[in-house]
Amino acid sequence: MAQVETAEAELLDALRAGQESAFTALVQQYQPSILRVARIYVQNPATAEEVAQETWVAVLDGLDRFEGRSSLKTWIFRILANIARTRAQRDGRSLPFSSFGEESGGPAVDPDRFAPAGERWAGHWKSYPERWDTVPEERLLGGEARRRVESAIRRLPPAQQQVVTLRDIEGWSAEEVCSALEISEANQRVLLHRARSKVRQALEAYLAQG
Amino acid sequence: MARAYKCLRPGRVGPFSGYSWPIGEWVEADDAALCVRGVHSCRTEDLPYWLTEELWEIELDGEVRQEHRKLVSERGRLERRVEGWTSSSAAAFAEACAARVQERAARAAGDGAERLAELAGDAAANAAKGAAALVGYIAARAAEVDGGVDGYAEERLAQARWLVSELGLDAG
Amino acid sequence: MLLSEDLTCQELVELVTEYIEGSLLPEDRDRFEQHVVLCDGCAYYLEQMRTTIDVSGSLTEEAIAPEAQEDLLRVFRDWKAG
Repeated sequence: MAQVETAEAELLDALRAGQESAFTALVQQYQPSILRVARIYVQNPATAEEVAQETWVAVLDGLDRFEGRSSLKTWIFRILANIARTRAQRDGRSLPFSSFGEESGGPAVDPDRFAPAGERWAGHWKSYPERWDTVPEERLLGGEARRRVESAIRRLPPAQQQVVTLRDIEGWSAEEVCSALEISEANQRVLLHRARSKVRQALEAYLAQG
Repeated sequence: MARAYKCLRPGRVGPFSGYSWPIGEWVEADDAALCVRGVHSCRTEDLPYWLTEELWEIELDGEVRQEHRKLVSERGRLERRVEGWTSSSAAAFAEACAARVQERAARAAGDGAERLAELAGDAAANAAKGAAALVGYIAARAAEVDGGVDGYAEERLAQARWLVSELGLDAG
Repeated sequence: MLLSEDLTCQELVELVTEYIEGSLLPEDRDRFEQHVVLCDGCAYYLEQMRTTIDVSGSLTEEAIAPEAQEDLLRVFRDWKAG
């Protein structure tokens, strides 16, 4: 942790001193993620690029005010969220980002797959889900499976999409996501659970096609 | 130092941690792959809840906490495999459990009779597949039908006694 | 008459994320694991969720287009120039 902080402090010093290599490193590191997240808000790829660029301008302008109370990464993504949200509203895409709690829920698995109340194994699988550890890796991790997963994620409600994108695609920790999106741990978990459950369903539907 | 037991998947793999247990080496609770709270193991009375393919003797060291249906310790060292626990003894365990459900169903009268008959069918079907942990669970649920929560616990103890006597375990 | 300790499969699938996240209370974690030990269906389900996370994690990053990189460097130089 201390090492990370030192590295980040050095990077900040270099940025403030106007070192181009420091900025390039930062862009390499975060631009793909920034674009991915921006596209959740604005969808149009060209607009997402603009949002990303505005974000970098705001990051640079804010550097002197950045106090390091959050990590540089969560600070950047908070700026991005604000800019993207404003832009989406201006373009008439009013996404329910303010109401993070009020997202469509529904069970993780179709209730029909469990024995109904009153039966002796009520709530247990009628028939088991398929094993995936016997599915060939090229099918599971191949291009088509990845496309299905990507499109399932795109169809999620925005808050779920955002959480699963940051957690599972970008590999962020729960704390980082909570901090960047300014949501509680519990809320983050609920959104992640709903998102992952639906992505699993999409993958299951694909693999069931044989 | 205390002796306890550990249920593992084939190849000494922890069923939840995925950790490959070495033989004869101390493993610390904070080794990355394991539960942060400690090394989990079983007293003989805990075994019916956790049965898997392999059963091992494990030596525990440091603070050992007795928790619900398990022990949690600072360190553990896998000693030796309980050779008597095989797919055939697992099947025998399942048969013994299924037989008790059958007896219960035969004795039953009134409300629970129908349910017990169904459970006896479930137990027999799964015993035929050698699903030891599952049949143990079904038997406990059957005991619950006429004995409530105490019946459930008693059936689990009967299962543990079977394991102790058939496998020659050290009940401590 | 369910023992309060026993989870059904339907309850378990709603706890999978918390289990993977390590945020279940110890007693709920035990109930979860005791269920998975005896229920192949839920063991497969847990495996499926882990695989789903892996597939999401394999979605590749697009490389940054050289023009975009150039645009951003211009942003930086403008900022530096004040």
